[in-house]
Amino acid sequence: MNIKSVTAKKIFQTRELPLIVVVAGVIAALTFLSPYFFTSGNFEILARQTGLALLISVGMTFVILTAGIDLSVGSVVALSSVIVGEFIINFHWNPALSVFVSLIGALLVGYINGLFTTYLKLPAFVSTLGMLAIARGLALGVTGGSTIEGFSEGFLYWGQGKFLGLPVPACIALVVAVLSIFVLRKTVFGRQVFFIGSNESAALLSGIPVRKVKIATFMIASFLAGLSGVLETSRLGVSQPSAGNGYELVAIGACVIGGVSLFGGVGSVLGTILGTVLLLLIQDGLILLNISPYWQQVFSGAIIVISVSINLRTGKIKIKN
Amino acid sequence: MFNDSLLAMSEISKAYTGVQALAGVNLDVREGEVMALVGENGAGKSTLLKILAGAEKADSGKISFAGKEISINSPKEASNFGIKVIYQELNLAVHLSVAENIFVGREPKTKIGLVDFKKMQELANIAIKEVGLNINSNEQVNNLSIAQRQLIEIAKALSEDARIVVMDEPTSSLTDQETRILFDIILNLKKKGISVIYVSHRMKEIFEIADRVTILKDGKLVTVENVKSVTPDAVVRFMIGRELTDLYGQKSLKTGLNLKPIMEVEGLSSEPYFENVSFKVFPGEILVLSGLIGSGRSETAMTLFGALKRSKGTVTIEGQPFHAKSPMSAIKLGIGLLPEDRKKQGLFMQLVVRENMSSASLRDISRNFILSRTKDISLVTFFSEKMGLRSNAIDVAAGTLSGGNQQKILLGRWLAKKPKILILDEPTRGVDVLAKSEIYKMIREISDENVAVVVISSDLMEVLGIADRILIMREGKIVGEVQGNEATESKVMAMATGIGV
Repeated sequence: MNIKSVTAKKIFQTRELPLIVVVAGVIAALTFLSPYFFTSGNFEILARQTGLALLISVGMTFVILTAGIDLSVGSVVALSSVIVGEFIINFHWNPALSVFVSLIGALLVGYINGLFTTYLKLPAFVSTLGMLAIARGLALGVTGGSTIEGFSEGFLYWGQGKFLGLPVPACIALVVAVLSIFVLRKTVFGRQVFFIGSNESAALLSGIPVRKVKIATFMIASFLAGLSGVLETSRLGVSQPSAGNGYELVAIGACVIGGVSLFGGVGSVLGTILGTVLLLLIQDGLILLNISPYWQQVFSGAIIVISVSINLRTGKIKIKN
Repeated sequence: MFNDSLLAMSEISKAYTGVQALAGVNLDVREGEVMALVGENGAGKSTLLKILAGAEKADSGKISFAGKEISINSPKEASNFGIKVIYQELNLAVHLSVAENIFVGREPKTKIGLVDFKKMQELANIAIKEVGLNINSNEQVNNLSIAQRQLIEIAKALSEDARIVVMDEPTSSLTDQETRILFDIILNLKKKGISVIYVSHRMKEIFEIADRVTILKDGKLVTVENVKSVTPDAVVRFMIGRELTDLYGQKSLKTGLNLKPIMEVEGLSSEPYFENVSFKVFPGEILVLSGLIGSGRSETAMTLFGALKRSKGTVTIEGQPFHAKSPMSAIKLGIGLLPEDRKKQGLFMQLVVRENMSSASLRDISRNFILSRTKDISLVTFFSEKMGLRSNAIDVAAGTLSGGNQQKILLGRWLAKKPKILILDEPTRGVDVLAKSEIYKMIREISDENVAVVVISSDLMEVLGIADRILIMREGKIVGEVQGNEATESKVMAMATGIGV
C-alpha cells in the first residue's frame, strides 16, 4: 500500500466526514430554499452567532472528554454579563479591568465546580446543576432582575465590530478553537484529559493528577462561557441576568453531534465545531424560512438524536468484550 | 451407580475473533456425579461453562440432557432445564434481603397478586437450613460474609429444582471450615442424584470431592480420568502439557545473599483490608505474595503504591522513609504497579497502543508540556519490540487486542519507567499459555536487571513456578514465608487457608 492511498483512506475514515457532508448538504439546501441565505449579511450574522456559541461548546468539549458535564455554562454567561455591566456602568470601572474581573469570576465558578466534583466526589451533573441555579440566582439578585445599558463604543467593538473582515467574536472563537485543538492533541494536559475520560482509575494508576486536570477542565469551560457572556453583552449592548438561558443544552448538543462521547475519552474539537455550525445553521435557516421560533427547538432536538445515532453506527470503535 | 449420563456436551467448538476458544470439546456428566473441570486460565473452562449456562452460543456441537438433544439459547432456558451456575463473582442483589434474593423473579404471590412476604420467608428459611446456614432470611445480603453469600447462591439453586449445579472456584474465598460445609452439601446433592460440575485449581479438593476429572488445555479436551486412578501430579502435567520448569524458567538463587533490601515495610496497616504487614524486598528477586482472594494482597500493593490510604506503619526505600500519598509520588520514587483488573484499572480501551504504553511516561516524551511525537513513537516502538508486540500495531485501539497483548502493553508501560520496584498483580490472568510463558520470561528478565519484582498471584502453579521467595497472606496478615526452592503446593495452601495438611 503506498502513502497516497493511506492518506486517502485516512480522510475517508475520518470520524467527522459524515458530519462534513451533512453540513455541506444543509448549506446547499438553504441556498436553494432561501434567497437571503447565501448573502454576506446573513453570513456575518451567522459567523457572529456561531462564534459566541462555539466558545461555550469548545469549553464543554474539555469537560465531556473527561466524562464530566457542565450544566452551569448558561448561567455563567449571565453572571459574567451582569458583572461586566455592574462594574463598567454602575461602578464606572475601566472596561478592560471590568472584563478581567468578570472573567476571574467565571474562573472561580469553574474552580468551585471542579472542587465539588473532585474533592466532594459529587457527580458533575449534580454539582453543576447546583451551580446553574446559584450563578443564575446571583445574576438576578445583584441586578434585581433588570438590565444594564449604556456601554461605550470601545466596549461595543468586541461584540459588534470586525477584524480583517470577520466579526470579532468569530475571530476570537477561531483562535480559541485552534488553540484547543493544539492543547488537546499536542500537550501533556490534552493527553491526560483523554486518559481520564477513557478510564479514570487507569489514569490515576498511571500517575496522572486526575483531580487537578478535572478542575482545570471545569475552569476552561467556565472561562470560555464567561468570555462568551462578555462578548454577547458587547454585541447586544446590554447586560442581562436572563442571558444564556438554555445555552448549556446547545453546547452539549453541539458536542454530541460532533461525536464527543458523553462517556468520555472520545471526541474532537473539530467535531464540536461542526456540531455547533450545524445547530446554528438550522436555527438561521428556520428564521430565513419564516418558520416560527417556537418550532426551532423541535428541529434542534431531532438533529441531536439523528446525528448521534448516525455517529454510533459509523464512528463506532469496536472493542472486545 | 453412575451409569446414566445426565449431560453430554459433544464436539463443542467456539471461536472469538481470531481465537479458537474451544475446539471439539466433550463434557460428560453422570447423574449424581461430581465432575471436576480443570485447566489453566485460557484453557476454555469458562467458555464451556458459559455455553452450558446459555450465556454464549457454541459455533458447533451438540448438547444432550437426560437423553434428549437440547439447545440452550439463554440463561433462563438453562435454568429451566435445571442447570444452575454459581459464578465466582456472585450474582446477588446486595441491598435486598436473603429471602428476596433466593426468590427473585419467582416470588410467591398472594391471591391478589402481591408478593407474599410471609410465605417467601418461610420457604427461604427452609432453603437456608438446607445449606447449613444459621441466619435470618430477612437479613440484608450486604451484612453477610462472602462465604455466607456463596451458600445463599447454592440455596437459591437448590430451591429451584437443580439437576446440575456448576460451581466455579467455589472455595476461592472460603475458610477451611466453610469448605467442609460446602463439601457436606455437595455429598448431600450427590445422594439426591444431583450432579455437580466443580471447577477448581486445587488438586487437594478435587481429589477429595470429585469422582472424575475433565482436563482441558488450549481449548481442547486432554483427557477424562477417574480420580481414583490418577495422581495430582499427573493431572497438573496434563493441564500444562510440560514440566513446570520449562514454563517458568530458571530461578534466581541470589535472594537474601548479603544483599541490602531495596524496600522495607514495617507494620503497614490499612483497615479493614490488612494490618501489621512487615516484609523486605531485595533487588533482583521475584517475591510472590500468595494467599486467597480477599486476603489483603492487592490492597497491600495498592497502599504501597499510594492508591489506598495507609493507617499505620512505615516504608523505607533504599533506607529513606517513603510515604506515597498518590500513585504519582510512588512512580516518582521508582515504583510501578500493574493492576489486578487490566480492563478496569489498566487500559484505555478506546485509545491506541502507543498512547496506552506511554501513559506513565508523559514527562519523558514531552518538553515544556508539549508532547514530542518522535519521542513518543521511539519510546513505544522500543518497548513494543522488547515485549514482542508487532510494531505496526502501535496505532491500533488497545481494546481490540488479545488479553496477552494487552498485558504486554501494560508491562511495557512500566518497563518504560525503569522502576526499581515493580509490583505485578495477577500478571497472567486471562492470558493464553503462549503469552503466559512470554510474560514469565519477561518477568525473569526484569528481575535479572536487578529490579525487585513483587508478584501477586492466585495461580498456585504460577506461584511455585516463578517465585524466588513466597510470602503468604491470610485475612489481612502475613502468616508465613517460604523460599521458592523449598515451596510445595501443600505447604503454601496450608498457610493460606490456615489448616495443617
